[in-house]
Parts: sequence; structure tokens; C-alpha cells
Amino acid sequence: MFPSISNTPLVLLSPMLVLFALFLAFPVIFTIFLAFFEFQGISTDSLLVVDLGIVYFTVPEVVNLEYVGLQNFERMLTDNVLHQALFNTVYLFAVLIPTMVIIPLTLAIALNSSLIRFRNTFRSLLLIPTAANTIAYAVVFIAIVAEGGLADSLFVLIGIDPIAWLRNGFWSRNLIAFMSVWRWTGYNMIIFLAGLQTIPESLYEAAEIDGATRLQKFRYVTVPQLKPVLLFIVITSTISIFKKFAEPQLLITSGAPLKETRTIVYYIYQVAFQNLELGYGSALTVLLVAIVTTVSLIQFRVAD
Amino acid sequence: MHEKDLNEALWKFGGYGFVIGAVLFVMIPIYWLLIASTLPQTEILGNTGSFPRLLPGSHFFDNAQALAERQTVNYYQSVLNSIIVASLYTVLSLILCSMSGFAFAKYDFRFKELIFLAILGTLIIPINLLVIPLFLLVSNMGISNSFAAIILPWAAYPVGIFFMRQTMQSIPDSLLEAARMDGATEFQLYYRVALPAVKSGMAALAVILFLFQWNLFLWPLVVLQEDKFTIPVALTKIMSQQTPAYDQLMVAALIAIVPMLIVFIALQRHFVNGILAGAVKE
Repeated sequence: MFPSISNTPLVLLSPMLVLFALFLAFPVIFTIFLAFFEFQGISTDSLLVVDLGIVYFTVPEVVNLEYVGLQNFERMLTDNVLHQALFNTVYLFAVLIPTMVIIPLTLAIALNSSLIRFRNTFRSLLLIPTAANTIAYAVVFIAIVAEGGLADSLFVLIGIDPIAWLRNGFWSRNLIAFMSVWRWTGYNMIIFLAGLQTIPESLYEAAEIDGATRLQKFRYVTVPQLKPVLLFIVITSTISIFKKFAEPQLLITSGAPLKETRTIVYYIYQVAFQNLELGYGSALTVLLVAIVTTVSLIQFRVAD
Repeated sequence: MHEKDLNEALWKFGGYGFVIGAVLFVMIPIYWLLIASTLPQTEILGNTGSFPRLLPGSHFFDNAQALAERQTVNYYQSVLNSIIVASLYTVLSLILCSMSGFAFAKYDFRFKELIFLAILGTLIIPINLLVIPLFLLVSNMGISNSFAAIILPWAAYPVGIFFMRQTMQSIPDSLLEAARMDGATEFQLYYRVALPAVKSGMAALAVILFLFQWNLFLWPLVVLQEDKFTIPVALTKIMSQQTPAYDQLMVAALIAIVPMLIVFIALQRHFVNGILAGAVKE
């Protein structure tokens, strides 16, 4: 660590700080501010002009800006569409969290054990979905489950009635979960694998001497040692589930029932960019961040 | 002893079964994508009851041609847009993150902890939720429907700054001191000493940044118009027709997925390091 020599650190940091202030800090504060307002239209008159010679920007002045106090938050209480969207999101959370822990962890344990050969090949194959484009892979899944597609053929072949995935709310919603499992299994597996490799071999040897079975070793050595990794996976998965937008958006575009597939972020998108109620949309954003933060804190507490 | 062997064999069998099952689950959609992109629409849909095709057909170039001749969305333009945007973003963000990381790791200055905490604080906010204020900001700056609008907002990528700080801390101070003795300026320390020392960290971050921008969807959907569409936006626009042309869509999805898979296989080590550095899921 060096003492600051002249103003080097500030020179190094300044481009980042300008962008950070403008595109991250300001939007965060502005979202909270907008949550208490409602307005129609955007004015090009500027409220504040910043001219630094190289950087020139204006902070938007919003016309017909009307202070509505807590009205946006009161509206949430009686907003049935929001309640349904919350329910859909929580449903995905309830289905995906256990799935996104159990399957990847089982795979990681299998691929960490000397019983299995070709471990690196299997690992690479399972990681492939992580590199797939968010929307492109969803397009493939929708083509597979579309009427008369691959899923239908396979079902008929094994003698099951085809499922109308895209017309039935229950199946559409589960399709979102199914796609997420496809995409994130390898990702979570790699993180678990890294966690497993940090567990000292001596712990297992000690358990072995005490005559522990495989399951007892898992229960008393692996699980306690993996706790921090488990927490990391649960929290990152929680955040990614609560901000799900791409898959529901594409399903809705393909005609899936809105009611059962609309997530909170999709609803925010509709409110803000289809109805142009930017104030209410901001209030919903504040609500979502509050929910995610609360859930993460609870998970943190439970882990301790 | 015999029982122990049997037990072992059962675990082995179960383990292989589970892993191979998962591999099939992962590979079937990818394989079907390869096959379906070479079939006409009538064969992608409407084979109910017959055994699915396992071998490619001969319609790939017809499909690719039809995709090029679309009236509404210029898909190949969007592929080019995505490559340009993701590359520019990666380069810009790497410069910003490594400069900041170096400053945080190797210098003392006023408000250092405070600034760093402010950056870490934004990690709890799913950043694509800032679309509403960003939309107002970008409209006012007059840069909506431009590549700048999707490159600039997350060029100061909090995860990247944090990751570069961690990486740069491993550079020995003595190395920097020695360079100072030789008369290197502070900026030369950054790009002649620090950057070469963290090459593999930079590579890992580059992969993650590229993928982040490549997959960005909500914000481009809000801010871009027809001629500036990136791949995900173009795909969703093609999907939104009454009867989606799945033959064209399969070629489009193939172009969006397969090259990235090849890159992934080539850069797998960096890719895994990037994931382990705590990359954020989009």
C-alpha cells in the first residue's frame, strides 16, 4: 500500500466515478424520488445543466410532476394484477430454490467423487447452457413445446396425451421453471464443485475411521462445510428468480396466458413502458428491491 | 467385504445414471436446435406420432435466406449490432474496472472506504431494474436509440470493480516500488506493471462482461429502435408474429448460441474463473 502520490488515484477513478454517479447512484435515488410522484410526459427543458467541457448532460425535468405521497404504495394493496404477479414470482421461487440446490449439489458430489470417470468432459457438457443467450435458448424451448413440435411427438410415441404448454397457465408457468433449471444447473454445479474441493480430505478420513457411512459423511462433514457456498447459491438464485423477465416476456409474446406467467418485473415493464405510469413503476421497483433485500437477509439469518 | 463392493457398485451406478441423465437433459435441446435449423417449418412442427428426425435435413440455407429476406426485422444486422456493442462494452468496462481496481488496491486516499462502500451497496440492487430513471436520463441526454445508451450505463460494473480490486491486491508492492525506482510514472505502473500481472483475471472478467452485455434484454428492449436492435430484441420481435416462422427462428437461435459455445469451449478456464469470481446472473 502506498501513500497517495499526488492525485493519481483520483485520476484513475474519475472516469468510473462520473459514470457511476450518473448511471447508478443517480438512478437509484431518482427511483425512490419518483415513487412518490406521478406525471404525464417528459419535458426537454432542463432543470440542471452540467457542462464539464467534455461531459455535457442535463437532468430531466418532469412536467406535470404531481406529488402523490403514498398513493402509489396504497394502490399496491388493492392491485390484483400485482398480487397475481407476486404470486407467480413466489411460485417460481418455491419451485426453483430447492431444485437449484439439490440437482446441482448432487451433480457436484458425483463429479467430485473418484468413482466417476470422464469428470472433466461431463463438467464441460453440463456448463454449456450457461453460455447460451437468454432469449435464444427460450426460443428453442418454445419451438420444442409448440403444438406439433418435438415434445408432442415424443409424448405421443410413449403414449401420453400431448400437453398444450403454451395455452395452459399451469404448464406455461412450469415451463419457465423448467427452462431456468436447464440454464442454471451447470452454473450452480461449478460453484458447489469449487466449494467441495476446499473441504479438507482429513475430515473425511476422520469420519471414515469413526465408521461413518457415505450418507453420514454427507450429513456431518459436507453440509456444514458447504454452508457459505450454499448461502451464496441461495442468495444469487433468489435475486435472479425475483428479477425474471426474459422467459416470461417471450412466453407471453408467444401467446401464453398472461395471468399465470406475468412476473413482477414483467408487470413493472408494462406499467412503466406500456401505460407510461413511471411513478407507479418506480414504486413497484422499490417494493421489489425491498422484497429481495428482506428475503436475502432472512436467508442470511437462517444460515447463521 | 462382498457387501461393501456391492454398495460401491450401487453408488457408482446411481452416480453415472444421474450425471448422464443431466447431460442428456442439457444436450437434447441443443441437438434439436442443430437439427431443426435444417428443416422446413412443416417438419419442425407437425410430426406428431412419428419418430423425431435424428439427422439434419437440407433446408438450412433456405431458412437462412428467408431470414435475410424478412420485411420486418433485419436479423443479420442485429447480430452485427450485438457483436459491436458487446465488444465495445467489454473493452471500455475492462479499462474502467481495472483502473478503479488498481486505485482501490494500491493507493490510500480520502473517502476511499466510503466510495468503495457506495459501489458495493449497488450490488443488492438488480441493476436492470433501473430502467425507468435511465430511460428518462438517456432521453434527456439525447442518446436513446444509440449504442452509447446500452454501453455506458453499466460500464462501471460494480462486480467488475470489486473483482479487479481483489485481483490487484495480489500484486506485490515491491514490484511496483522497483518500477518506481526505475523512474516509471504512476500511469506506467498501471499499464506496464499491474495489467500484465493480472492477465488471467482480466480474461475471466472479459468473458463475464461480454456475456452480460450479450444477454442484456430488458434495457435494450426499452431503449432501442428497429435499426439498432441487438439479438435478443430482434428474436422477440420475430417471435411476436401471429405464426412465428420457426424455420427462420431456429437458424437465428443457432447463430445466437453456437458461436458462443465454441468461444466457451476455447476459453473454458477463464469462463469458470469468471463464474467463481461471483458473476451476477442475468
